[in-house]
Amino acid sequence: MTIFLASVGFGLVTSSVLAIAAIGFTLQFGVTDVLNLAYGAVMIAGAFLAYLLNSHGVNVWIALVVAVAACAGGSVLLNAGVYAPFQRRGTAPITMVIVSLGMTLIIEFGVQAIAGGTSVSYAMSNGPTVSAGGFTLTAAQFAVIGLSLLVMAGTHVLLRYTKLGKAMRATAANRTLARNCGIRAGRVIAATWAITGALCGLAGVVFAMDAGSFNATSTDLFLVLILAATFLGGPGQAYGAMLGAVIIGLSTEISAAYITPSYKYVIAFAALLIMLGVRPTGLLGKAA
Amino acid sequence: MNSYYLINLLIYAAVDAMACLGLSQQFGVAGVTNFGFIIFQAAGGYTAAILALPRDSANGGFQSYLGGLNLPFPIPWIGAAIVGGLIALPFTFLVGRRLRGDFAAVGLLVTAVLMNLLATNYRPLLNGDAGLSLIPQPLQGEYNPQASGYQWVLAAISIVLCGAVYLFVRRITESPYGRSLRAMRDNDTVADSLGKNLLSLRTTMLVTGGAIAGLSGAILVSYITTWSPAAWGYAETVVLFAAVIIGGAGNHRGAILGAILVPVGFEEVTRYIPTSNNLPPNLIPSLQWVAIGLLIVIFLWVRPQGILPERKRVARAVPRPAAPPDGTAPPDQTARPDQAASPDQAAPPDQTEPSAIVVAPATVPLTTTKPRGEAAQPGAEPAPPPHDHEVVLQAVDVVRDFGGLRAVAGVSVSVRRGTLTGLIGPNGAGKSTLLAMLAGTLPVTSGQICYLGRDVTSLPAYRRARLGLIRTFQLAAEFKRLTVMENLLSAVPGNRGDSMRGALAGPRYWRGDENAAIARATALLEQFGLEAHASSYAGELSGGQRRMVEIMRALMAEPRVLLLDEPMAGVHPRLARRIGGELVALAAGGLTVLMVEHELAIMDEFCDPVVAMAEGAVLAQGTMSELRSRSDVVEAYLVG
Amino acid sequence: MSAERTAPGLPLRAAGVTAGYGGDPVIRNVTVHADPGEVVSLVGANGSGKSTLLKSLVGVIRVSSGTVTIGETDVTGRPPEEIARAGVGYVPQVDDVFAPLTVRENLEMGGYLLPSRQVRTRIEAVTEVFPRLAAMLSRPAGKLSGGERKMLAMGRVLMLQPAVFLLDEPTANLAPAVARTLLDEHVRQLARHGAAVLVVEQRARAVLAISDRTYVLAGGEIRMEGSPAELAASPAFVESFLGGTVTR
Repeated sequence: MTIFLASVGFGLVTSSVLAIAAIGFTLQFGVTDVLNLAYGAVMIAGAFLAYLLNSHGVNVWIALVVAVAACAGGSVLLNAGVYAPFQRRGTAPITMVIVSLGMTLIIEFGVQAIAGGTSVSYAMSNGPTVSAGGFTLTAAQFAVIGLSLLVMAGTHVLLRYTKLGKAMRATAANRTLARNCGIRAGRVIAATWAITGALCGLAGVVFAMDAGSFNATSTDLFLVLILAATFLGGPGQAYGAMLGAVIIGLSTEISAAYITPSYKYVIAFAALLIMLGVRPTGLLGKAA
Repeated sequence: MNSYYLINLLIYAAVDAMACLGLSQQFGVAGVTNFGFIIFQAAGGYTAAILALPRDSANGGFQSYLGGLNLPFPIPWIGAAIVGGLIALPFTFLVGRRLRGDFAAVGLLVTAVLMNLLATNYRPLLNGDAGLSLIPQPLQGEYNPQASGYQWVLAAISIVLCGAVYLFVRRITESPYGRSLRAMRDNDTVADSLGKNLLSLRTTMLVTGGAIAGLSGAILVSYITTWSPAAWGYAETVVLFAAVIIGGAGNHRGAILGAILVPVGFEEVTRYIPTSNNLPPNLIPSLQWVAIGLLIVIFLWVRPQGILPERKRVARAVPRPAAPPDGTAPPDQTARPDQAASPDQAAPPDQTEPSAIVVAPATVPLTTTKPRGEAAQPGAEPAPPPHDHEVVLQAVDVVRDFGGLRAVAGVSVSVRRGTLTGLIGPNGAGKSTLLAMLAGTLPVTSGQICYLGRDVTSLPAYRRARLGLIRTFQLAAEFKRLTVMENLLSAVPGNRGDSMRGALAGPRYWRGDENAAIARATALLEQFGLEAHASSYAGELSGGQRRMVEIMRALMAEPRVLLLDEPMAGVHPRLARRIGGELVALAAGGLTVLMVEHELAIMDEFCDPVVAMAEGAVLAQGTMSELRSRSDVVEAYLVG
Repeated sequence: MSAERTAPGLPLRAAGVTAGYGGDPVIRNVTVHADPGEVVSLVGANGSGKSTLLKSLVGVIRVSSGTVTIGETDVTGRPPEEIARAGVGYVPQVDDVFAPLTVRENLEMGGYLLPSRQVRTRIEAVTEVFPRLAAMLSRPAGKLSGGERKMLAMGRVLMLQPAVFLLDEPTANLAPAVARTLLDEHVRQLARHGAAVLVVEQRARAVLAISDRTYVLAGGEIRMEGSPAELAASPAFVESFLGGTVTR
C-alpha cells in the first residue's frame, strides 16, 4: 500500500509539472493551429536561465520569475518571427512541424553550446519533508503541486471570466468572426503566446526542480508526455490538457512502481498512439 | 590523404545516400512524412547483427540478444532489408486513415522515441543501451577485415548497392505508378476519387522505404561492427529530413546531394575546424546541431523546393496515326461531337484530318477488352453492359446528417444511361452533399446507392471510380505539381505501369499503354484548346483553365457515369457552351452525366431531365422550362 | 426592438470595387451604396458574387481596386477589426457564431468594443429583441438549431448598434415562416432605427418586400438597380435569375 501511495505522490508531482506544460502547449495549438514541438526546448532554456542566476546566488524561486518572463517574451518572438510568417505564406501543417523541429534543434543545442553537456542542479533547499494523506513529499514538491493548482485555477478564471480569455477562445474558434467583432486577433494571439510562454518557462523550471539534475536534452522525453496529455484530452482544449496531465502523470508513476521504472513512458506513448488512431480529437473534443 | 579516411567517407556517404533515397521516395515523391524513419534503419542494423552474431559472442557472452544465428553473408543483409520492410506494416494505421498530416507525423516521431527507449532499457532484447558489438563482418572467416583491400571492396559494394537503390527508386518514380504517387502527394482526396487506393500506396511506400533503410543499416553495421541505440535517436531522422529537404524533395539526385552535404558534409567540415583546449568539448557537436536546425528553417523559407527541385516531366509527343486514305474511317469517327456549333473549328466537319480521330472516352467501347482493375480480381463479375436508357445510378432514400443538421433528407434519384441530368437548387439544398454520397467521398447516414445494378453504398470512392463512377470537385482539385498532361494521364485506369510490379518491369513493359494514353490526352487537349499548356504545371493556370483540366481528367478516367460538381464555375460562357456540347455528344455515345450547376442557361440548353432540390429534398424533376412553370420550384429557389 | 441608437447611421459607399480570391476577380467594378434608414437588397443567382462583395466590404477579402467608405472614413483595404470599429456590423452566411462559446459569451464578444459596464445592459436589450435567446444564455452556440443560431448571429451584431449592417443571406436554411419574420420584423427595424442596411439574399421576392432599393448582381457585375416595384415589373429581372449570365 505504501508503494502505491508513494507512487501516487510522485504521480501528483509529475502531473503537476505536466499540467502546467500541457496547458500552455495545447493553448498554443488551439489558437495558432501549430504543434509547437520546440516547446520542450523553450522549457529547458528557461530552466537553464534560472540555473544561470541560481548559480550566481539568486534564490531559485526568484530566478524562476525571471525565467518565466524570458520564456514569455521568447515565445512571442518565436511565433511572430518564425511560425506566423510561414503560416501567412500558406505553409502546410506538416511543413510547420518540420519548422518546429528545426527550431527545437536551434534552441536546445544552442543551450547546450552555451551551457555545456554536463548535468547540473539547482542550489535550493527542498524544505522539510511533509507527510500528508499517506504520502511523503518535500515542501518544494508541495510547492510545485500548489503552483500547478494555481495555474489550473488561473487558466479557468482566465478563459471563463476575463475578456482576454474569452477573446482567446473566440479567436481559436473562428478567427475571422472574431475580427469582425473588432477583436484585434494579432494582439490576442501575441498575448496567448506570452501567457503560454510564461507557462512554458514555469514548467521548465519546476521540471528541473523535480528532476534534480538536468541537461539540455532532458526535456526530449518529457515532450512526448506533453503530447500524450494533449492528445488524450484533445488538442486545443485546456481542460483536456489538465485531465490528460493527471491521467498520464499518475499512470506513469504508478506503473513505474510496479513495473520497471524505465518503462514508465511506455504507457504514455501507448495512450498517445491509441488516441491518434482512434479518436484524434481527444476525450474532451467533439468526435470528428 | 589516408586511405582509411577515404573509405570511411565513401561508406558513410553511400549509406546516408541510400537512406536519403528511401526517405526521398516516401516523403518527396509520395508525401508520406515518416518521422520514424530511423527505426527502419535501426531495425535493419539490428537484424543484420543478430543474424550474423554467433550464439554466444566472444569473451564469455557479455552481450544478451535474440537470434545469434551466425549466418553467412549476404543473408544478414537480405534479412535486414526484409525486416526493415516488414516493420513498416504496423504503422500503416497512422498513415492510412484520414488523420491530419502533422498528427500522423507526430505519432511516428513518438514511436521512434518509444522504440529507442525500449531498445535502451530492455536488455535481453538487444543488449540495452550498450548495444551490440563484435558484430561479424561479411566473410570475415575468409578474408581479413582489417586489410585495406577488404575495406575498399566493402566500400565499392556499398556504392554499387547505393547505385542500385538509386536506379530502383528512379524506376518507380519515373513510371505511371510514380505519377500516381505524386498525385496522391498533391491531393489525396482527388487521387482517391480517381481510383487510387491510398492505403495500399502508402503501405507500399512505407515498406519499400523501410526495406531500403534496413539495408542501409545492415551495411553500416557491417562496417562499424557495433550498433547501439545512441546511433539512432530521433535526431538522426531530423538530419535525414534536413538532407532531403535541402537537397531537393522529390528529386532523387537531390537526395544524394543532400546526403553528401548534410550528414557527410557536416561531419567532414567540423574535422577541419581548429580545435583548441579552451573550447568545451561538446561545443562543436552542439553547434553542428544548431546549424542543421538553422539550415532547415532557412531552406524551408528561402528555397523549400531544395537545391535540386523536382523536375518537370514533359511527355514525349507521340506521333499520331495518319488519317486513313479512303472512306473507311475507324468506328470512332461516328461519335465525333458536332463541330458545327463551335466557331473555333477551322476545318469543316467532314474532313478526316488527324485531329478528327477523336479518341474521346465515349469511343472507347464500354465493353472494353482491357479489364478494369476490379474485373481482374477473382470473383468479381464484370458489370453487365447497360441497355439503352436503363437506370445506371440510383440513390434510394438517402439521408445525410452532420451532427444535428440534416443536409439530405431522404432523397431518391434515378439517373438513366446516356442522359445529361442537371441538379439545381439554392445554397444549402444538399446538391453537393448528394453528389459526394453518390461518388463515395462522403458516406451515407442511411439509404442506398446503386450503380449498374449493384449496391455500392459501402464501397469506398476509389473502388467506385474503378468501376467507372467518376466525380469532379467544386474547389481547386488539380494536382498542382504535375503538368497538365500528367494530370490527364494520372486518371487513366488500367495502365500497366500503374502498379509496383509494372513500374519495376520498366518502361518497355508499359510504354505501349503510356503512349496510347498520351495520344488520347493530346487529342482531348486539342479539343478543349489547351494543347499549348500541356507542359505547364496545373497550378499555374487560370481558374477557368483549371476547371477544364479537371473535366478532361475526369474524361480520361473512362467514366461510365460522370458526376460534375459545378464544372462551369469561372469558365468563359462561350467555352461553357462548348463543353456542354462535348458532353451532349459524349452522352449520345453512351456516357451518363449528372451535373450540379448554377448557370441555369446551361441547364436549359443541355440538360434533360433537371432535378430541383431544396432544403435537402427533391422538389421536382423535368426539363428546365417545365420546372420554371412550377410555382413551388420558382418559389423555393428561383425568385424565393 | 431595443433602444434608441446612440449614434446616427452612416452611409456606406462602395465605388468600382473589384475583388477576388487571388487569381481571377470574382466581382468587377461594383458600385453600390446604402444610406442611413434604408434597406438596400442585393440579389442574384448563386455564383454571382454576392458573398464576395460583402466580404470585400468588411475586409475579409482584399479589394484589388475601388474604394469603400463608411461615412467620411475611407476603409478600403483596412482589416476587419478596423472596419468593425468604423461602425460596421457583419453577419456572415456560414460560421456565423462561435460554436464552443455559450450564447452569452457570443453576445459578449459581439460587445467586445463596449465598455464592460454597458455589456450587460446591451445583452438585456438584445434578449428583448430575441426572447428565445434569454432562455439559452448558458448553452454552447454549437448546440443551437439553425434558426436559433441566426438569431444569435443577429443578436451579436446588435450588441454594438452599428451604423451599417451587412447581412449575407440571413434567411438561408431557415424555414419560410421564420425567414419572413426575420426579414419583416428584425431587418426592417434595423433601418427604422437609423442604420444603413445592405442585405444579400437569394430569395429575392421576400427581401424585395422590405427593400427601399435593390441591386441585381450577375456574373460579378451590377446588372440592374432600382426600386423593388420597378424591378419586379421588368422581365429582364426574372431572366437574370433564370440564366442570364451566359447571354453576354
